[in-house]
Amino acid sequence: MSLLLVPLVKIAIILFGVMTAAAYFVLLERRVAAWVQDRRGPNRVGIPGTNIRLFGLGQPLADGLKMILKEEYTPAHVDRGLYLLAPLVMMSAALAVFAVIPCGSTLPPIPALGLQEPIAMLVAPSFDVGMIYVFALSSIAVYGVILGGWASNSKYSFLGGLRSSAQLIAYELPLGLGLLGVVLATGSLRLDAIVAEQANTGVWFALSQPLGMLIFMISAFAEAARLPFDLPECEQELVGGYHTEYAGMKLVVFLTAEFIHMITASFLISILFLGGWHFWGLTGNAETPITWTLAAIRVGVLFAKVFAVIFFFMMVRWSWPRFRYDQLLALAWKVLLPLGLLNLVVLAILIEVQHPQVAGGWLDERFGAGRAVVSWLPGWLLLVLAFMLVAWLRPIMTDNRPRTDVDLLDSPLQE
Amino acid sequence: MDSAGLPIFLFALIALAVPVGMIGLGALIGPHRATAVKRMPYESGMDPIHDARRRFDVRFHLMAIAFLVFDVELLFLYPWAVASRHPEGIDRILQVSQGLGERGWVLGGVLVFLALVAAGLVYEWRRGVLRWR
Repeated sequence: MSLLLVPLVKIAIILFGVMTAAAYFVLLERRVAAWVQDRRGPNRVGIPGTNIRLFGLGQPLADGLKMILKEEYTPAHVDRGLYLLAPLVMMSAALAVFAVIPCGSTLPPIPALGLQEPIAMLVAPSFDVGMIYVFALSSIAVYGVILGGWASNSKYSFLGGLRSSAQLIAYELPLGLGLLGVVLATGSLRLDAIVAEQANTGVWFALSQPLGMLIFMISAFAEAARLPFDLPECEQELVGGYHTEYAGMKLVVFLTAEFIHMITASFLISILFLGGWHFWGLTGNAETPITWTLAAIRVGVLFAKVFAVIFFFMMVRWSWPRFRYDQLLALAWKVLLPLGLLNLVVLAILIEVQHPQVAGGWLDERFGAGRAVVSWLPGWLLLVLAFMLVAWLRPIMTDNRPRTDVDLLDSPLQE
Repeated sequence: MDSAGLPIFLFALIALAVPVGMIGLGALIGPHRATAVKRMPYESGMDPIHDARRRFDVRFHLMAIAFLVFDVELLFLYPWAVASRHPEGIDRILQVSQGLGERGWVLGGVLVFLALVAAGLVYEWRRGVLRWR
């Protein structure tokens, strides 16, 4: 019974949390946008029938209600099956990722309910290939985009779908390369094991692999289609890209899925590189016996990190100009991919050297307590080297002037 | 049933039910007043000229092929990355089977593999697959 009941309770909590978070992060996003642009933002909707405003906290509910009451129509020219399938694929893939993302460490056992073991705050605790699963589902999200763009049978949708599929697949490669360094340092694809490794050594992977984190973060921004990589949507040129022809709840499903992608990306960045629930001197390490207080502190630390990353996402949106499409693809293929390979090679050699059978013992003997510094210094040197390389080579996305090397009349696009 | 897969399967089912429920609710409650204009493709208010099933730039196709190659090559690296640190991984294999050599050989092999991947990237770059204008 508890084999089925415990996962169901966890699933219910996580799904409710994610959906609520998505709704309220939309409000937060609008408030942050308003704050950055020096205006008020949505602050009116509170409790209906009264004058209580509650800082606009009723806005997501009102928006949701409005969208449910909108007409659910299907244009005549679309491929009906695929048209309906696209939002379903996108949303369920975006939600299903949370099956392997830990929302904290563990809870102490509750013998009153017959739970004698500590409870992992994770839906699938014994699933060994967590990160592969995350990647598989993020690839399925690409299908949602392609299906939406193709099935709509409209030129805007088609162009938007093409563009965003090329973008999403291009940035999946550096995403995987940034992750490989973490897997290499941990020896596991499980997200809870990755956090435990960082908690036990006390060195977050952001400190030991800063270039990997930078690559992963930029790619995660692009995978979540956030500005400055929001070419899948591009309201200005393609009136909404692949979801131009969608309306009503289908559109809401698409937009919510995109927001969930952002939340997922924040969770992944926090867990993989920012230590998950670990904070020095506050949460102990993975061996510390768990109590209710400790569990609560760990959840608090993790959510503070996730919140900070999401806030960073929102600030970036209003801080960077977006890329031109050729710059976007060049960034993925010509900058992030080579840098990711370089990062992986250096990390592989570095981690191999620190292996106890190679030179780890010698390093311990020689540097003792300063070992941690010695082990992450090369990572920072690599970051500086990468920065200098990019600055010296001046790739195409550093120059925002109109291109002079292209004769448009000569282009095959001009028929 | 395997206890690792069951929660995932459950989660996937419920995750599918959520958007189905949302769209179903919208279809039940929302009005239905379709008109001929509303059912046309959106082209900024103009009458659409062609349908959208037209030829598109071959570079998208090249990108997709290039992606497939690199993605599969990256997948080959995951087993190595896990086995490299895992106690039951490379160390155990080397311990059990004497004469296979040192850890250095494994790293060397991976570096050669990465060099081949990098060579592929350079080749593509030089052939102009990644050029976009």
